[in-house]
Amino acid sequence: MKKKLLPYLYSFPALLVIGLIVLFPILYTGYISLTNMNIYHWFNYSFIGLDNYVKALFVMDSGFIPAVLRTLLWTVINMMLQVVLAFFIALALNAEGLRLKNLYKTLLMFPWAMPGYVSILLWRMGMFNTEFGMLNQWLRTMGFENINWLSGNVMAFTCCTVVNLWLALPFMIMMIDGALQSIDKAYYESATLEGAGFFTRTGKITVPLLRPIVAPAIIMSTFTTFKQFDIIYLLTQQQGAKTGADIHTIITYVYEKAFITNNFGYSSAVSIVIFAMIIVLSIFTRKDLKEEGR
Amino acid sequence: MTGIKISRGAKLAALNLILIIICLLALLPILYAISVSLNAHNEVISSSFSFFPKELTLENYRMILFDKPFLVWLFNTGLLSLATVVAAIAVSVPAAYAFSRRRFVGRKAILYILLLLNAFPGILSMFAVYNLLKPMGLVNSYQGLILIYVGTMGIFGLWNMKGYFDTIPEEIEEAGKIDGANDFQIVTKIVLPLAKPSIIVTAVMVLIFVWNEYIFAVTFMTGAEKYTLAAGLYSLQATEYTRNWPVFSAASLLASLPILVVFFAIQKHMVSGLTAGGVKG
Amino acid sequence: MKRVVAVILSALMLLTLFGGCAQSAAPATSSADNAASSEVASSAAASYEKAKEPVTVTIWHECDATIAQTIQDELNKLAPDIVVKVERKEKMSEALKLVGNDPASAPDMYFFAHDKIGLFAEMGILAPITDFITKEDLSSMIPMTIPAGTYKENIYQLPLYFETLLFMYNKALMKEVPKTTDDLLAYMKANTKNGSYGYVEQHSTAYYTAGWMQGFGGFIINDKAEPGLNKQEMIDAVTYHQQFVKYMPADGEYNTVTTLFKEGKAHSIISGPWLVPDVKKAGIDLGIAPMPTINSTNKPITPFSGVQGVSVLKSAAQTKKDAITAILKQLLKPDIGIALAKAANCAPANTKCYDDASISANEMIVAMKKTADNVVPMPNVPAMDVMWSITENMLSAVNKNNADPKTECEKAQKEALSQIEAMK
Repeated sequence: MKKKLLPYLYSFPALLVIGLIVLFPILYTGYISLTNMNIYHWFNYSFIGLDNYVKALFVMDSGFIPAVLRTLLWTVINMMLQVVLAFFIALALNAEGLRLKNLYKTLLMFPWAMPGYVSILLWRMGMFNTEFGMLNQWLRTMGFENINWLSGNVMAFTCCTVVNLWLALPFMIMMIDGALQSIDKAYYESATLEGAGFFTRTGKITVPLLRPIVAPAIIMSTFTTFKQFDIIYLLTQQQGAKTGADIHTIITYVYEKAFITNNFGYSSAVSIVIFAMIIVLSIFTRKDLKEEGR
Repeated sequence: MTGIKISRGAKLAALNLILIIICLLALLPILYAISVSLNAHNEVISSSFSFFPKELTLENYRMILFDKPFLVWLFNTGLLSLATVVAAIAVSVPAAYAFSRRRFVGRKAILYILLLLNAFPGILSMFAVYNLLKPMGLVNSYQGLILIYVGTMGIFGLWNMKGYFDTIPEEIEEAGKIDGANDFQIVTKIVLPLAKPSIIVTAVMVLIFVWNEYIFAVTFMTGAEKYTLAAGLYSLQATEYTRNWPVFSAASLLASLPILVVFFAIQKHMVSGLTAGGVKG
Repeated sequence: MKRVVAVILSALMLLTLFGGCAQSAAPATSSADNAASSEVASSAAASYEKAKEPVTVTIWHECDATIAQTIQDELNKLAPDIVVKVERKEKMSEALKLVGNDPASAPDMYFFAHDKIGLFAEMGILAPITDFITKEDLSSMIPMTIPAGTYKENIYQLPLYFETLLFMYNKALMKEVPKTTDDLLAYMKANTKNGSYGYVEQHSTAYYTAGWMQGFGGFIINDKAEPGLNKQEMIDAVTYHQQFVKYMPADGEYNTVTTLFKEGKAHSIISGPWLVPDVKKAGIDLGIAPMPTINSTNKPITPFSGVQGVSVLKSAAQTKKDAITAILKQLLKPDIGIALAKAANCAPANTKCYDDASISANEMIVAMKKTADNVVPMPNVPAMDVMWSITENMLSAVNKNNADPKTECEKAQKEALSQIEAMK
């Protein structure tokens, strides 16, 4: 009997803090979404049923569907690039005989070692600025015209992707690098003895063994990418510095549409709706998850 | 045979070259920040910008270190990170072990739900967290921040370490069990050494999260003497009109140095306890 | 087995650590409450006690350190009876939304621009300053500064100084200042070349472009909270303004335009007084000129003004009434205005300050004082909160992506109406 309770006891502290910090806000948001908490009823709000959800449907106007599609595109492109690039960089870092690998690894982690808003600011001011940014200064030196990096939709989307990769790759490299360490070298030795080449080893041994370890990190990164707000907002939408590009993703779109209104009940309903949407979308990956759950 | 050796050397050279290029690309904005921080004029952006400022100065570094409460922030962050990392590992290791090794009712469901919780757009969470901390009296206290950080990183810690624990063959533990070791001994003597990279990865993740987190720190903490580095940096640049770019760049670079040192230091521990052939099922 | 228990226990202890601190923190706040309520209970006894035990009043701000220090110094004069803590709070308006009605974490007063007054008043966290001082006390303030802090007939802000945009030019480059906007455009056409600009501004932000809109007789939102983005005046303003943007740097962002001016690559700029110290440090021979007149309306560019002042939180209004009254009275004196003008070139809200010789000699402050009749205080209705972003979207679409002004104005108006509706 005692044995049966043990796992619950072991996981209780973790589940408790997660419950408080992650689950509780979701429930609380759900509760607020049923009230009329807005600036006119900030402290004396009352229960109004599903009115906010009816209102939330209006957020899904003509601009919403493109934002959803753009978010999907953003997520797929970023995750693919991120995982593939990180995988090969991590493999390269683990190549035998590479003397400076610790130095490389440390340097590659640099983008991750400062708060995101700092580096986004650096990119915006130092790289993309139309007058003084390094990219345009180089273009001018080479005799080309200035480019408005963040104004056109396609260009702005590309720039955001570059910055996102820059910010996210260190994490992915570290996860994959860490996971590579846990692969028993004996597998490679026997495979090499059997005459397997690099690609065969990678495809047949590395990837399958890495998958279960890295999958949770990839899934969580996918959610993070899907919800990514800072990069797109700070590069193209920040108040006082909007660039004119319309590359809203779901989250920046509803931010401008709903969160900005200070209507807490309404914004909460919108949050819950988006939450539900992402969950429905992620059901596609459910098969994967179940396997990882063993 | 010599042919193979030569091609191997060439391969390594090519690999080094590629990695150097990747590193340079990754460091481009950083190099830019370094250059700005050494510039004697307050001009992040200038039409005459070049990587090598005409007038070099360390004044910006002196200013951030001694005229601003930078060292206080550093101390606060160090303390907060350490406490958070210890707490996060302490709660996630037993949980990860339970989820990896034991089969119990609700196990799969909990794991799955935990992952899905990440899908919630947390922009509005601030309010809920505030309402949670207020009755506990944890607003404007480090304990409150630690709780927030441990909770936020909890899911990652649990899942990440569970993933690694899964790769450790249970047979190794069986041997321990036969010797009469209890769960605690098995975890500390067998599992943890074998899962060292995962513990380190998790700890580093938590460390970096705490190091860089500023929204909660800025909102829940009042008074510059209580700020963390990220919050302090935020306060340095928050007012656009008084933003001093060189000082801000210097501060950002200094703030990231400890993280880099930690990275470099942990590299040699990133090798798993699993040695070739050591454990064959 | 014991070891297992030990692990669990140590993990749990971490948690109780939080709980323990919670307990230790709780009595502290409640004792503060008690102290506060006992004060109200017997005001006579309280004022007697005050002689021994000072009242602490916290004022949050999010402004420049020099300004904050000047206010702190001024209010230090009230010591030892009243101890004032002027404390910086990042993301202050967000924080006030969170803690506004919680005496344990909220400040007693805050110092900020007037445009959030409607929002906070509507939320119910502000006390009118007329609870402490009379309307007559405010009679020496520049007229424009009082309605700025008035929402639904209540005055919520004691104004200290105001800010407004100025037409600044580089005397070395611009020999004759354009009197009208057509002249300005001609000047820009003639002088914008080779990375130099005749005139620059943050052309796609609501705050900076509002001057043009208002010079045309348009408005972003009026005091009845009705948006005016699709009014003919507005469309005319945006259309007319669009031709100026062609001769300005495309991104029109703060750092870009101010750096151009500081480096002597822009002949003139419309910007705020906060830019002046940097410009002087950069060695620019700075001139300040009246705003150019818009040819079609014969009215000058009419910018927004921001009135900076202190407001009182409702939660503190009852418990610390005497102390807050004393603070407001202290700030009513011209001293603070004069000190701020000297320390940071702020244009005082109190007309009495202008009798001081050092202020009447300050070219920039005099220029700002002159424009005080020709400015529109930023709207303080809560609905303005959503207008900033909508207006800026409209302007960036027109100015940066060459969209049609009329279409964009109509679109923005529709958006504004729906978002104002969504606030309710």
